[in-house]
Amino acid sequence: MLNLFKSAPRNRSRQTSRKLNNFFDDGGSTPERKHKPDYLIVIIAIILLIIGLIVMYSISPALAAAEGVSQHYFVTKQFVAIGLGLLAFVLFSYLPLKFLRRSKRTLIWLSFIMILAVHFFGEQRWIQIGGFSFQSAELVKFTVVVWAACFLFERLANSEIKSTPKTLYPILILIGLVGFFIAGLQSDLGSAGVIVAIAVVMAFAAGMPVKRLAVIGGIVAVGTVIAIASTPYRQDRLTTFLNPASDCQAAGYQSCQALIAIGSGGMFGLGVGNGVQAYGYLPEAENDSIFAIVGEKFGFVGTGAIIGLYALLFSRMRRVILHTSDAFSRLLVIGVLTWLGIQTIINIGAMIGLLPLKGITLPFISYGGTSLVFVMAAVGVVFKISRYMAYSPVRNVALTKNEEGPRDNSISGRRQRRPYYASVSGR
Amino acid sequence: MNPRLNITRVNFSNLRFNIFYSLLILILALFVVRLFYIQVIEHQTYKTAALDTQLKEYKVPAERGVIEARDGAGVVPIVLNEEVYTLFADPVYISDIEDTANKLAQITGVKAPEYEEKMNAKTRYAVLEKKLGSDVKDKIEKLAIKGVGLRAESIRTYPQGVLAAQILGFVNDEGEGTYGVEQFMDEKLRGKPGQLKAITDSKGIPLVSNRDNILKDPEPGQRLLLSVDIGMQRRAEKLLADHLKSVRSKSGSVIILDPNSGAVKAMANLPSYNPAEFYKESDASVFTNDSVNAPLEVGSIMKTLTVAAGLNEGAIKADTTFYDPAKFEIDGATVRNVEEDGGAQTRSIADILRYSLNTGAIYVLKQLGGGEINEKARKTWHKYLTEHYLFGQKTGIEQGYEAEGSIPDPVEGFGRNIKYANAVFGQGLTVTPIQFAAAFASTINGGTYYQPHLVEREKPEVRKKDVVSGKVSGELRALHENSVDKRYPFVDRAGYKIGGKTGTAEVASPEGGYYDDRFDGTFIGYLGGDKPEYVIMVRIDDPKIYGYAGSVAAAPLFGKITSMLIDNFAVSPAGE
Repeated sequence: MLNLFKSAPRNRSRQTSRKLNNFFDDGGSTPERKHKPDYLIVIIAIILLIIGLIVMYSISPALAAAEGVSQHYFVTKQFVAIGLGLLAFVLFSYLPLKFLRRSKRTLIWLSFIMILAVHFFGEQRWIQIGGFSFQSAELVKFTVVVWAACFLFERLANSEIKSTPKTLYPILILIGLVGFFIAGLQSDLGSAGVIVAIAVVMAFAAGMPVKRLAVIGGIVAVGTVIAIASTPYRQDRLTTFLNPASDCQAAGYQSCQALIAIGSGGMFGLGVGNGVQAYGYLPEAENDSIFAIVGEKFGFVGTGAIIGLYALLFSRMRRVILHTSDAFSRLLVIGVLTWLGIQTIINIGAMIGLLPLKGITLPFISYGGTSLVFVMAAVGVVFKISRYMAYSPVRNVALTKNEEGPRDNSISGRRQRRPYYASVSGR
Repeated sequence: MNPRLNITRVNFSNLRFNIFYSLLILILALFVVRLFYIQVIEHQTYKTAALDTQLKEYKVPAERGVIEARDGAGVVPIVLNEEVYTLFADPVYISDIEDTANKLAQITGVKAPEYEEKMNAKTRYAVLEKKLGSDVKDKIEKLAIKGVGLRAESIRTYPQGVLAAQILGFVNDEGEGTYGVEQFMDEKLRGKPGQLKAITDSKGIPLVSNRDNILKDPEPGQRLLLSVDIGMQRRAEKLLADHLKSVRSKSGSVIILDPNSGAVKAMANLPSYNPAEFYKESDASVFTNDSVNAPLEVGSIMKTLTVAAGLNEGAIKADTTFYDPAKFEIDGATVRNVEEDGGAQTRSIADILRYSLNTGAIYVLKQLGGGEINEKARKTWHKYLTEHYLFGQKTGIEQGYEAEGSIPDPVEGFGRNIKYANAVFGQGLTVTPIQFAAAFASTINGGTYYQPHLVEREKPEVRKKDVVSGKVSGELRALHENSVDKRYPFVDRAGYKIGGKTGTAEVASPEGGYYDDRFDGTFIGYLGGDKPEYVIMVRIDDPKIYGYAGSVAAAPLFGKITSMLIDNFAVSPAGE
């Protein structure tokens, strides 16, 4: 079973042991135990990208008619976006994690600059850069994953994960900033929610006490209520969601048309070349509502398969988390998984009438260059980390203050001595 | 101790992540269940809902028939169709209303806040502008603003301007012909709309690719050719307008009718309106064609028909003379002649027409009754009014809202004798100008009542033969020409035969009785050579000049019309 990798660990065992020192002290520094990465992750991502492109191609005549652009407009742009996304993927799958850690500050500054640029020189949520619209919220999502991984790793290292001033306050500050800039300035409650969810889930996973999390939950809840109460369209969306039949014409129009699109698809769908809802009935057909178009064209078979693909992608990411011993890497993958998972759930949930509408894209499939590039960059990071997975799950145990200390390390010495690192295909 | 275990191990448990992950997968599983419910179990419901909005049945409008008119020997269009565009916006799709309003206003030249207001209204279909030309449409399309659209519609255009507006009528916003030829011929002009049952996009544009689309082509509406000669119509309208001004009247009509076919060559009414901008008129009365829609008491021109009836019945002869007492007492009322009549004396039948003797007309009525006004006289006169001259019923001319007029009953009612005595000189009964012109034409053309018409026919339709005998018709012409020669030398043109009769009618007040100071002037006459070629009916309402309205207001216009016809149109002089 292990034939393929028999030689590698043995040859490197000494070197590896030495490196471990560094590895544990300084999360994310690239260990040199590189092996085959989990190709399935990138294969699933590419399949989803292709599905999105096919759907977009099939509805492009409708989009051209509805939006007054040329037939190739959306497909061409999506093609370029996918190209850029793959570029970002390759770049981040080679970039050392150390570099990611060091670029934390740069990313944060860049996020602020882009938010301000959008505010002063762009539209409400985006700015035009070289023929592409740049959504600053997507950069912020990526930045928050990197920042939270660094931050939580440091707190874990200093055993300060339970500290109110050291851990809770910075997260509250982050939530405040996101609330002000994204939910407030950009009026993008959906993206703000995703960003906060990423940080909170990462903090939760890292072992932040439930009491502190409850404080965060309370503050977020109050903020959300204020945000909804202060804007009529959000109230509309909420009342529509709570009482869907009441308003199929005006406020509930998109939800209603999304359900009609999905429901009319039936078991096998109308076929890729058919389908009517994209012809002006369903708003944002190429973007937020693309899942409904998939439902119309490919039926339950198609929607089920896509959800299956997402679930498979998430399970591969979970495998990376379980098979990695480096806390920083694990935090990064948890962040990416949360990001993609939450967006998938919010988007599909809204389309099938289980959640209120939010302007959230469906990862990989929805139209939108910025989202695609950063999601692919994030997948690149996960792909990179998957090169360093252990063959079997690593028993990672949380260290409490009492357990802290060299002797209390519950990782068995044997495992440390004899790490079986293997690729996916090694099974 | 193994030194490797001395390191500070930074890590955390998988437990919490696993909780999150399980939740995530659970939700996705729930989604699959929900999708199964929507797509498989409730599929039919959603399919029906989809077709409800996507499948639309359309009437494909047929192109409305154009209307043409004669122009001498040629034919020119008088009503055409043009594509215009309605500019609308769906505010849901418009991101920047102010900017959009500004851009559009720059093209249309309207103030931007007007558009903003319309787009801020709670609607998904805000109509911003109507009846835009194709040049404006192209400019707006170039802007390519999402949420702004243009809808094509066909409207009527009038290459001849306001000419013959009341004859034509117009097409209202619902696409229905209203008033005039447009109303009467609506069904034929409209054609048959085609049918389209198709899956459409949200704007209602059918998706071509759908196999189940059903299309039935529309049949375009019929093209109509009017008998009206636009040159004659234009001159008649001009003469009428100028004349009304000179006699200080607000309204009047002129009909020029071909007595040998019933074709209306011109039919002018004032005041009129612009059919291209009918929606700007606040007073609907300008839409009515008073020649057809407004019956009136025609006054003394009725004597031409009274004499015709007397002659045709043999009750009088063309050369009969009789003693005229200059007044009659009937049913306790006194009927007199006009002041200048010269008192009681022996009169001829020609004098009745020449001097417009009311008592002379009553003499004819008495002769119809064998010497007195009795049931026989009334019934005979009634028979002529309704069965020979076809009054009290629609002529069937191609006009909307045609009026019938009213004829008093010969055997019922109080004061029948005085009513009938009045009727012989055109009071107490109402007739439309077209009814009268057609009836008069039948008495001087040899006795045939041709269907009066505005839409050209292959051959004239005879409504009634022998209205009067051919001999009587000849006698009548002689009488009419004689009365014109003697009294109105200003319409005398050498070589042409002109005959006619004035009328000054008292105007009935809505409260009962007649106004003391209001009279309508009328004139009926014809122009021709060996045979009458044009019958001309003139009506001038309430002219504010001194004298009898028929003589001072209507007759001069008749003179001008005949001169105009002789000068500009082929009228064959007698003896050629």
